[in-house]
Amino acid sequence: MPPKEHAESVPVLTFPRQTLVSLLVFAVCWEALSYLAPYLGIPPFAIPSLARIAKAITTITPVDIAVTLARVIAALIASFVLGLALAMAMYRSDTLEKYLHPMIRILMAVPVVSWILFAVLWFPGVEFRIGFVLVVVCGPVFLVDTLDAMRSVPRELRSMMRSFRPTSIQFFIKLMLPAIVPTIFTSWKVNISLAIRVVTIAELVGAVTGIGHQLSVAQELFSVADVFAWTVVLVALLFLLEAIVARVEHRLLRWRA
Amino acid sequence: MTGKNGPPPIHVRGLRKVFRQTTTGQAVVAIDRLDLTIAPKEVIAIVGQTGCGKSTFFDLMIGLEEPTEGSIMVGDKSPSSDFDYFRGKMATVFQQDRLLPWRSALDNAKLPLELIGLPEEEQRERALTWLNKLGLGAFTNAYPHELSGGMRQRVAIARAFSVQPDIMLADEAFGHLDEVTAAELRDTFLALARECGSTAILITHQLEEAIAVGDRIAVFGKSAKLLADIHVAQWDARDYGTLREAIQLTLQTQQADARLARG
Repeated sequence: MPPKEHAESVPVLTFPRQTLVSLLVFAVCWEALSYLAPYLGIPPFAIPSLARIAKAITTITPVDIAVTLARVIAALIASFVLGLALAMAMYRSDTLEKYLHPMIRILMAVPVVSWILFAVLWFPGVEFRIGFVLVVVCGPVFLVDTLDAMRSVPRELRSMMRSFRPTSIQFFIKLMLPAIVPTIFTSWKVNISLAIRVVTIAELVGAVTGIGHQLSVAQELFSVADVFAWTVVLVALLFLLEAIVARVEHRLLRWRA
Repeated sequence: MTGKNGPPPIHVRGLRKVFRQTTTGQAVVAIDRLDLTIAPKEVIAIVGQTGCGKSTFFDLMIGLEEPTEGSIMVGDKSPSSDFDYFRGKMATVFQQDRLLPWRSALDNAKLPLELIGLPEEEQRERALTWLNKLGLGAFTNAYPHELSGGMRQRVAIARAFSVQPDIMLADEAFGHLDEVTAAELRDTFLALARECGSTAILITHQLEEAIAVGDRIAVFGKSAKLLADIHVAQWDARDYGTLREAIQLTLQTQQADARLARG
């Protein structure tokens, strides 16, 4: 049986017709609502026209996007490394797992707003506050997901691997890590969405740069067009990051074709 | 243990393995005081009914389990206590192929060679050689899901032989394949084991397979008691039918004795 050819093209950055149609319908409804707002007793500034939102988008400062993006990526990498390292340690040690598990559960139950308040009270530096909040929210998700995935590696594969007598490092590198790659990607996708939302809230409190800060300024100036413009940027950022992850995922998980 | 002089003998002395059931805490004797000696380069088939402790013996042989009492010594080393010592010296073929789905056939065959730290080029060459010997030269880049069951098992055999082990163990390795493929793979396995000069231990529940493959057949009764130790070479091929019936009778007698003992 000849091996199948693997499709090299990835449809992650293309828009299906249905998506374009639904976006178009939304835009038409929005424009209609914006036009009708004064007749419905809604202040005109509350639902700005698409033209005004587009104009607001042109005034967006790329440096704020870059700052937010850098914060998100740095925090996600730190959370992933920390989460994976702890998951590996917990997989190897039942005792450590028993002690850390309740703590992780508590961390995951604390609301994001509480973490932001704790960060403001505990730490003086803005960057550290934002980083702390992101890591404390995203880290446990990486940890729990990767630990579950490690436990789900089939017993048959584990005993096969052990029968060839690998070192502990070889066991993790040759078996456990590749086996949990699909879960790692799912976890990244979940955490990107979470981090984008959390960073925005964290930047609202105390930051002087970033998309969250710009949203706060727009809100103080009652500039709904700017709020929408920055929101569009956030959504686009989320889609872009997810598309990048999906592309890497497709490349690394060719064997699942 | 010396690789140069071929595989060392295997001595199983007073081997006992007791498991404790997780739910009831009750002790279950899987192997009860087993004695067995396997000569270097011997091909031994271990045959017995389901639940007689064959697979526990397999796990003890490869060192994944430790004996409760007694010992298994390969030369002067124990597979469980001297676990790392046997890296590259002992290899296994399981009932299912147990290939890593994210690795191509070549990369799967390379796995044990990577673990013993051979240079990349040598790994590739040796893995390719073994895949070619197993007739998979055209499928080296195929992923396991792209191969048939028989082909996957061939990759698993190539993976095991790639380190040219002193001891080769196979646990019901051909039992799930159709008869023709199984017979073909059994012959290939046997030829490769002889070529490598490995001691081969095959666990099976099929008498035909045991007779076809083994220089010797160890018949296990419940709790891995050695019921019979048969040197196949001493039998004329025309008498294999009688041999088969004799083994069957031995197993049936033991089963009847066990039933009587239970009342």
